[in-house]
Parts: sequence; structure tokens; C-alpha cells
Amino acid sequence: MKDERLREKRLTYYKEDLEQIDKLLEEFLKLSNAKSVFLIDKEGHLITRKGASEGINADTLSALVAGSFAATKELARILGESEFSVMFHQGAKDHIHIVLVGDRAITATTFDEKTTVGMINLYAKELSSKLEKIFDIASRRVVQEQHVESGYSESVKDKLDDLFKD
Amino acid sequence: MQINYAKKLISCKLVYYGPGMSGKTTNLELIHQKVPDENKGEMTSIATEGDRTLFFDFLPLDLGEVRGMTTKFQLYTVPGQIYYASTRKLVLQGADGIIFVADSQAEKLEENLESLQDLADNLKEYGIKVTEIPFVIQWNKRDLPTAMPVEELEEKVNWPKAATTSAVAATGEGVLQTLKLAASLVLDRLNANTAPGATATTQTSESAAEERKPEIYVAKVNQDSISKAYFSQYCQAQHRINAKSDAVEDFKKFSREEKKKLLESLVNYVLLLQDAKKRNIQASKEEVESQLSSFTKRFSSKEKLDEYLKNRKITLDALRNEATKNIIIGKIIFEIIPDINERLKISKDEIQKFYDSNKDKMGGNPLEKVKKDIKSHLKSVRKRKLLGEFHEKLKEQAQIKIFEDKL
Repeated sequence: MKDERLREKRLTYYKEDLEQIDKLLEEFLKLSNAKSVFLIDKEGHLITRKGASEGINADTLSALVAGSFAATKELARILGESEFSVMFHQGAKDHIHIVLVGDRAITATTFDEKTTVGMINLYAKELSSKLEKIFDIASRRVVQEQHVESGYSESVKDKLDDLFKD
Repeated sequence: MQINYAKKLISCKLVYYGPGMSGKTTNLELIHQKVPDENKGEMTSIATEGDRTLFFDFLPLDLGEVRGMTTKFQLYTVPGQIYYASTRKLVLQGADGIIFVADSQAEKLEENLESLQDLADNLKEYGIKVTEIPFVIQWNKRDLPTAMPVEELEEKVNWPKAATTSAVAATGEGVLQTLKLAASLVLDRLNANTAPGATATTQTSESAAEERKPEIYVAKVNQDSISKAYFSQYCQAQHRINAKSDAVEDFKKFSREEKKKLLESLVNYVLLLQDAKKRNIQASKEEVESQLSSFTKRFSSKEKLDEYLKNRKITLDALRNEATKNIIIGKIIFEIIPDINERLKISKDEIQKFYDSNKDKMGGNPLEKVKKDIKSHLKSVRKRKLLGEFHEKLKEQAQIKIFEDKL
């Protein structure tokens, strides 16, 4: 079953879901007093982000969060766990708190002295279970499948040619 | 791959794989140098002291907006050293395309083979075959005196029959070509998967070499091409339906006339699907699964089902795809001819008339016994006629090319 899901490689997100998700993230930021929150899929692609995250390269952060999350799996295995659901890295001023959402996504929250790790933990877990429900409903809902415009691939190839002409 | 319609964004993941010190990170560094600033993010490298990648290198490329979708490529490398096996596996998760950087030097032959096997094994754990995923092998370090001839490398290393490029990553030679080739393969896949009927790409074969053969097309219907492989499956499926038997009919056994006729019906089928797409007619997951399960429940065990599929060189996904199309076709009839049920009503008189004029074919059976069969026969004839009228209309507006020499 798990393999079956991994084979379904393409993750598609639709507007109606993202609107709901963004609302939850904003609500979470207000409640927890965190600086910013990123929702990332397990493969390292950013899904959406909220809050003051200027100066943070979201693509890189997403790749690293997904990567380090996966890396701790080995550690979890040693303890007889299948994976850890929460990770926390403390800095001098800024910290990051990472929570698993269901089996396909991760939230990463950055925060500073305006709040505490306990508060973040409390609301982030709540957020995670709400998000999980949205994903769950979305995955079972019958969506009107949208399509990428025809000719898209050719245009991307042209763009690559432009970018790489030496 | 992530397709985010809300943010109008497509993000693909390309992974550079290969033995230690083969030049994966060098590839990324060169790309980083050549790409204009506005199109790239920072290159992140987590390296140990010996200049070796510990975790992964990461370089995000942003192509900007293409046809309304912001397009990104996320480039990753994996650590080459054998002892970082678990990291390699996790970086591979969700990869859309893989570039294998091989070290051309003769003394590295074993390492190349080992790493390639490791890649195949890791992909297998995700249920992916190395021959199925967009895959490019780069023969790197072509400038070294000990580099093996490309022909020899092709023969000894390239067992997955991947597309290949030659490179001297350190000077930048071949680096961008490799990336472009891999990106094109990924994009072609996207095209194929989003085409309305997705007719052109039905995975058919177990054999790697066969899959890599250039696709032969038998027809083009508007924007969709019909591959010979798909057509052959269609013929076999039609044969099974018409003969009401499960025998596997060899494609070669079909006569030219039969093939032409079948191709015409397949073209009609594709036209209908394209029209359904325009009308936004969809099949729900539940509908598809229920149709699929009405088929799969015929088999007493999963092994039996697998065996059946294997004999016919089809996958469960392909069946699901077909079920989806059937449901869509079923629905479109109601769109085109809303009163179809009314028009398909067969009166007693009609049945009687048919019975009377075909008495010699009834084998002496009384009307009561064959009534049902006659009714369904008349129904399907009428349905075909109604659809035929619609097909003609569709055909008038369509661009259809038949490649008869390929049949």
C-alpha cells in the first residue's frame, strides 16, 4: 500500500484546498506567536508558507527540512519507532520546530523569544491534525482534474535552451 | 513532482546519482555558475572534510513563468560512498528524473556497476524500475587518458539502455546538455500523462530494451498520437470482447482489413475522449474502482490476477486507465443525446419483426427464449447508429492522420 502511494508520484494541490490550508496556517501563527510557518511535502517541495519569512530561501529550507526529517528515520528505527513525528532545533535567537502531517507532509515553524517551544508544540500538533484531515478529504474527493496547458513542455525546453546558451 | 494549481507552480526533482568522486557535485557547481542569478537559488552543500558530499547537495533552479505556470527544477546529488546508503535512498524519494554520473576511467568500471545496481535496488524499494523513470547516464571525465571508449562503456555499463551523454564536468563540457536531456525526458512524461486520453503511453512490457525503442505511431488524432503498442492492446481487447473469450490473440494474426477497421473505431474512441475532456466529463475514483473491482473479483487470488495481466502484458494501472475512459464514454453519451434512454427503447413490434425476418438464424428457438438477446442486439445497433452520427460530426472538425504503412 505504501509503495502504491509512493508510485503515485505526482502531488497535486488545488485552489480550494490551499485556501483552507492558508487560513489554518494564519490562525496558527496568531495563536502560537510564531514568526513563520512552511508546509512542505515529504519530497522536499514547498506547498505553501505564511508569516514573516523574508530572507529565507523557501526552496532550500524545504529540501533540507524534508531531508533531515527523512534522515532521522534511521535514528527512530534504532529506538524501535517507525519515525519521529516532532523535531526541534534550538538556536541562540531563532528556532525551528518541525512536525509531521499525516504521511505526506511536514510543517516547519520558525520562532523566537516572543513565544515558547511548549506553545509552538501545542498548536503545531493541533495544526497538524487539522491539516491531515484536509489532506484526507482532498485525497478522497472527486476533483475535476485540471490540465497543464498543451505545449507547456515544449515551452519549458525552449526556456532551458535560452537559459543555457553559452 | 508537485503540481500546485493554487500557486500556479510546477516543481520537479532531478537527482544526480553515481559512484563516489564521479563528479556529481561538480555538475551542480557548473550549472550554478552558468545560470543567471535571477534563475537560481543558493547552492547548498553538506560536505564532510574530504570534500565529499555527506548528505546531499541542493540547487534550486527557477525558470520563471512558462505558459502560466512558474516552473522549478530542484537538483539534488546523493553521496556516492557506499556507507551513505540510507541517505541516498531518502534523496531518491519522489525523484522525477535521474542522472547517473559515471566515471569513464577503466579502473572505475566496477564502482560504476555497483552504484548503478544500488540505484536500481533503491528505486525498486519505491516500486520504480530504473527502465521506467526518466533516466540519463553521463559518461564523465572523457578527457582522462584512462577513459574507456564510449562504445565499451555502453556495452558494459548501460544495461538499462538509458540515453547517454559525454562530459568533462570539470570544464563544463556536456554538463548543460545532460541536464537539458534529463529535463526533456521528465517533461515528455508530463505531456504524456496530461494528454486527455493519455493514449500514447500505456506501459506494456516487462522488457527494458523494448520500452526504450522509439515509439511507433499508427495514427494522430488532433493533438494525441496513438502508439502501435496501444493499438495492439486495443485490438486484442476488442478481440476478447467480440469473441467473448479470454484467449490472447496475437496482434500479427489480425488481417490488414481488420486492423484498419479496428483503428477506425479506436480513432472514434479517442475523438470521444477528447470531446469529453472539453465538456469536462470526469470519472470519479469510486466509479473507477467499482468498475475495476467488478473485473478483478473474477479472480480467486491476487496471483491469478497477476498472471492474467502478465500474459497480456498489461498493468493494473493501465486497466484503471481504461476503466476511467469507459466511464467517461458512458457518461458522454448522455451529454450528447440527453434523451438516449427514450431513444433506445425497443418496442415489442420491433422485436417481433426482427424475429420474423431472421427466423432462419434463430435455430428453431421460440421468441420467448431469444427475446432478450434480440432486444440487446437492437439496442446496441441503435446506439452505434446514434454514436455514429456524432462521430461524423466530430470527424469533420478533427485533424486525423492514419499511418497505414505502420499497421
